[in-house]
Amino acid sequence: MLSGRPEGVVRFMPEPELLYLPLRSRRFVFSEVVVKDGQRVSNGDTLARDPDNYGVPLLSPRAGVVRLNKCENHIVLEEVAKDEEQVDMAKEELSHIERQMGAAGIKQYRLNVLGAWQFFYDAHTGALPDPLGTPQAIIVSTVSLEPFLARGDVQLHKRLSNFTRGLEQLQSLLEYQPIYLVLPDIKSEFANLIRNHIRGHALVKMVEIPLTYPYDDFSILARKLGLKRSAEPVWAVRTEGVLAVDRALTLSKPCLVRIVSIGGTGVNSPTHIKVMPGYPMQMIRDKYVFEPVARMINGGILTGELLGTEALGLDTECRGITILPELKDREFLGFIRPGWDRSCYAACYLSSLRERFSERFTTGLRGEGRPCISCSFCEEVCPAGIIPHLIHKYLYRDLIEEVEQARVDLCIECGLCSFVCPSKIDLVRQFIDAKRLIEQEKEEIRQERERQEKLRQEELARKSIEEGSE
Amino acid sequence: MKRLLKIIEAVRPTFEEGGKLRAFKPVFGALEHFFFAPSTTTIGAPHVRDPLDLKRLMSMVIISVVPSVLAAFYFFGLRFFLMIIVSYAAGLTVEAIFAMVRKEGINEGFFVTGILFPLILPPTLPLWMVAVGVAFGVFIGKELFGGTGRNVFNPALVGRCFLALAYPKTMSASWLEPSYQLTGRLFNYVNASNVDVISSATPLALAKQGELCSVSHLLLGSVSGSAGETSAIAIIIGGVFLLLTRVANWRTVVSILGSFALLGGLLHYALPETVGPVLWHLFAGGLLFGAFFMATDPVTSPTTNTGKWLYGILIGTVTVLIRNFTGYVEGVTFAILLGNITAPILDEIIFGIRLRRLAREG
Repeated sequence: MLSGRPEGVVRFMPEPELLYLPLRSRRFVFSEVVVKDGQRVSNGDTLARDPDNYGVPLLSPRAGVVRLNKCENHIVLEEVAKDEEQVDMAKEELSHIERQMGAAGIKQYRLNVLGAWQFFYDAHTGALPDPLGTPQAIIVSTVSLEPFLARGDVQLHKRLSNFTRGLEQLQSLLEYQPIYLVLPDIKSEFANLIRNHIRGHALVKMVEIPLTYPYDDFSILARKLGLKRSAEPVWAVRTEGVLAVDRALTLSKPCLVRIVSIGGTGVNSPTHIKVMPGYPMQMIRDKYVFEPVARMINGGILTGELLGTEALGLDTECRGITILPELKDREFLGFIRPGWDRSCYAACYLSSLRERFSERFTTGLRGEGRPCISCSFCEEVCPAGIIPHLIHKYLYRDLIEEVEQARVDLCIECGLCSFVCPSKIDLVRQFIDAKRLIEQEKEEIRQERERQEKLRQEELARKSIEEGSE
Repeated sequence: MKRLLKIIEAVRPTFEEGGKLRAFKPVFGALEHFFFAPSTTTIGAPHVRDPLDLKRLMSMVIISVVPSVLAAFYFFGLRFFLMIIVSYAAGLTVEAIFAMVRKEGINEGFFVTGILFPLILPPTLPLWMVAVGVAFGVFIGKELFGGTGRNVFNPALVGRCFLALAYPKTMSASWLEPSYQLTGRLFNYVNASNVDVISSATPLALAKQGELCSVSHLLLGSVSGSAGETSAIAIIIGGVFLLLTRVANWRTVVSILGSFALLGGLLHYALPETVGPVLWHLFAGGLLFGAFFMATDPVTSPTTNTGKWLYGILIGTVTVLIRNFTGYVEGVTFAILLGNITAPILDEIIFGIRLRRLAREG
């Protein structure tokens, strides 16, 4: 329980005059810019694409004039205006694609072009799945548990019919594969409402999860549902994704605005806001941040990325902005204080005698780095069922092979182990580095093997030629 | 408070790189962080951290032995206070030297060793022996392995074991009969030279000769024995607190006491001549203190839950066997040290099983 939880309403932000669209987000790098400097675009036009991620488009959320060289790593949109005009995809192009790919294919193509595909995740890897592939199942999650990201119930508010329609649209992409709908309580009124809406339309299985972070993580859900990593990919999508699917396939409209949470202990009124990508950070900062020294985080408190001053606008994947005050005062004789004002994982503070209360978090590390004492708190909190302190000790001794055997690849980078560690070891950072190292080594081995295979082939070919000549 | 911070900031450059006293940086750091929480902040995700740190974790152990320390004052006099000071001074010197050589911070783990060590010593032991014991325990038992977190043995028990083997006569003749007056020995200063009530026999030693003292004396602690181990009630109060704060794991304690009671009970039923009643044995000697404060040390006990159960059962069983069937009257120290040796092996086996299970997952 933390203070700074966004309230359950959606507020509107004033229309901006300038939009700063970052060319980078968590998963995408929009390196292929398709507009020219000074070009006038209307809303829904493609500005750039990510060639490494199946050409995911960066859509222009508003009409305006493109400036490419004004800011580094951003496309700036000037003279921004709200443009009600609907952009239709060229009919010829559509029919051409339809001939090529069939009815389901055209839908998936539309999802990608209209910006709904970027809401999809591969449940096991977290990457963008192939839009033209076939999944073994789709996981639809209505909960997002990391503090403080946009909540599913807020996004669903007044949009239940759109949501169920989106589920039906998702179903139409599949042949017989199931959709797992993840809910906090499958017997609730809300769940019954959904059940009534989709009766007879879709093959949807409801899954109940506890409202504890990080049980909404897609790879944890996939493991829980017994979906194998080696088989076809598992698509995963959140509430906003289903709504986007509905918008793209039912209305053929691009998905241009999103609901983003503004939360954290450095915000004066934590809430949800409805904004478009590229919305100027400065306007958000001016309206919500009251702390003079605060850290802005793109995403949640445990896995979010630091938003530096170079980030001028909201990126296309942003689900929430968390603002944390920086540590200012050093506590005097902190370790002998009873600690009524803080709650900790172990009951080492008398606050555990109190009722639940909200604690004001800062960015402080709250302790000094020390060697691991094997308290096994990290193991208790790990949702992936691996043994963080053991992997840490292997890494300390540079035993990469053992680290791999200890299944560091199952780590979902939720950050809980780092959070609880009393020795203040940054376990999750070490695991991310180790994972990357292992990937690199595997890649190198693969390349080496390929090279040798090629050499062998050449040798064989040479020999056969020689034999032939003899 | 602000003034103190100013002083710290003013003298900081002398201890930094290039300053005159840079070798003493760990000492300075320990003092600074004793008064003020560190000013470091998180880098990257996760951006917030749990307030619990090692200082807090270790101060929980110190708080939980306060009842035992008070009982030691009451039953054995204020000389015990000197023993604590000597133990801290000698051990801290070793710790600080190693921290300076390693260029690391002084680890909080020592503060626990420093208070636990005098509690498991006979109350009239010469002070120089306290110093030698704790220095040996910290040096051999901890620093040679790489410091807190990497040690195999509990440093306090290594120190005590060393003293018991090196000075067996003094160690077994420094017991003290507690005073039965209302004020106890609170206002007495007793050492080996001015003891009026010399008692060389602890309840366990007397039991070997067939004299059983009453359980109520054991519960209160008005018997002779090591300074902190006599009062069962004080240990249980502190120990339960330690379990509630989850610094000590309940599995270790339950399995030690459970296996001890079970085996002791069976043997008492089979051989009532040699083995005393269970409840008496539970409260006598260092069993409770060892189970609550020594065996639960997270570093030297197994990290897996299954490992903790096995470890506890081993300690409980070995204690019963040593106490009743060997020449030693007390076996807790040896049992826990034996448990410490097996802890990494138990962990290795259980980790192996768990990793094999993990490997099967897709």
